[in-house]
Amino acid sequence: MSHFSPTAAVNYFFNYFLMKGVLVTIGLTIAAVIGGLILGMGIALMRMSSNPVLSGAARFYTWFFRGTPLLIQLVVIYSGLPQLGIKFSVITCALVGLILNEAAYLAEIVRSGFMAVSAGQREAAWALSLSPWVTFRRITLPQAFRLMIPPLGNSINSLLKATSLASVISVEELMRRSDMLMQEHFQILEVYAAATAYYLILTSVWDAIQRRLEKHFGRSSASKSKRAAARVPVAQASVEARA
Amino acid sequence: MSASLGNTAMATSIKGEMVQPKLRDVPAVRMEAVYKHYGEFTALNEIDLKVAKGEKIVVCGPSGSGKSTLIRCINHIEKHDEGLIYVNGTELDRQQKNIDAVRRDTGMVFQSFNLFPHMTTLENCILAPMTVSGMTKEEARDLAMHFLTKVRIPDQAEKFPGQLSGGQQQRVAIARALCMRPKIMLFDEPTSALDPEMVKEVLETMKKLAEEGMTMLCVTHEMGFAREVADRIVFMNEGKIVEQSAPEEFFNYPKSERARTFLDQIIH
Repeated sequence: MSHFSPTAAVNYFFNYFLMKGVLVTIGLTIAAVIGGLILGMGIALMRMSSNPVLSGAARFYTWFFRGTPLLIQLVVIYSGLPQLGIKFSVITCALVGLILNEAAYLAEIVRSGFMAVSAGQREAAWALSLSPWVTFRRITLPQAFRLMIPPLGNSINSLLKATSLASVISVEELMRRSDMLMQEHFQILEVYAAATAYYLILTSVWDAIQRRLEKHFGRSSASKSKRAAARVPVAQASVEARA
Repeated sequence: MSASLGNTAMATSIKGEMVQPKLRDVPAVRMEAVYKHYGEFTALNEIDLKVAKGEKIVVCGPSGSGKSTLIRCINHIEKHDEGLIYVNGTELDRQQKNIDAVRRDTGMVFQSFNLFPHMTTLENCILAPMTVSGMTKEEARDLAMHFLTKVRIPDQAEKFPGQLSGGQQQRVAIARALCMRPKIMLFDEPTSALDPEMVKEVLETMKKLAEEGMTMLCVTHEMGFAREVADRIVFMNEGKIVEQSAPEEFFNYPKSERARTFLDQIIH
């Protein structure tokens, strides 16, 4: 066959079997983001701790999971761990792998967000005798979160596409189901055109959500305070600068 | 609303005359042989200082002399390494409850304002009264509006810090600190980050506060303000208090060579 059939591509796009794969992709992404954020937040807090054991463990974690391919991590969890008697369902394997991997990236994003909140903000909170919890919840977190949104969006976009690696361990998400259709009908371009369209739609929807988030959390920052946020961490870093 | 700018017990200020504070009361601040090191660098070198209630102190000296470190140690934003610090009789040891007590007695104004940029002026002012002093939103709001009126910016209550001028931001910062009803106000170069035309409005606010009897420690290079408001000038160099005297004496007859060169450089 030496031609491309647009009708077939459209048919694949509306194929019920493929759509269910899209739902699995969305589900994997959302679960991995939530799990990754929770774990990543914990790792970021450990990393920022003054306890060398905690920060060392966090450093090792990010080094390990950012330093090895997600594909290897998934395969080891799926086919390697059973050798040690540890066995999960396919979907659990995929989730564990994605969450562990995503957490390593999100931890760095969370950490950089918190580090970009100026020392002066914490000092002002101390001077007002705000409790550590109020300081975190009302002062540091909202400011850090605003700074985290752009890199967070980037990471979630990557994650959405990285879920396709779970096809290798036979999770029937969008990529896997495309493969299955392709092997059945041998209309390679048509099937993958439909899958590509779905990935583009998903990433575009996420882009739109991210823009709204940025707008929502940036509403208080007139151009001035943005400049201040960029300037302050450097300005207050050196000890000799004050006194 | 009976809130006033700070404690009025010492409203009749003792400007000028008084060099050594009388100790008929517990001093507002007492520092004894205080040291602070940053690695090899000695930021504070055997500091002894007593500040009476209602007294206004201006701390000056060349950059790197330890002025900011000195006042930042008073509310434990900087932790001193050795020596004793008492604030209204509470010792700043490492106990959190004492640190909290001292911080509730002191208000601080920073060079870079340090307003919370994601909150409006009003939200900046009511956060601590609501979460620390346990006020209701209405009470905190009344209190905040009272002090925002005092610093003459009640009309900016709903604006975000990024929408205000530097002078306005610093006045909000003063109002925010006053909302916690501090007994002592610490100013860390409050006008150094301001454009020249905004310095005056902030200094006027501080003068008003001084007139109402607030105990004040102020690191500043504004010598006009020092002359007019201070009861005592504390001159620092290389982490030490080199001399302390009434403004008249300090400006006209500085005792140390270092103070003379310093004054020559800043008074043109």
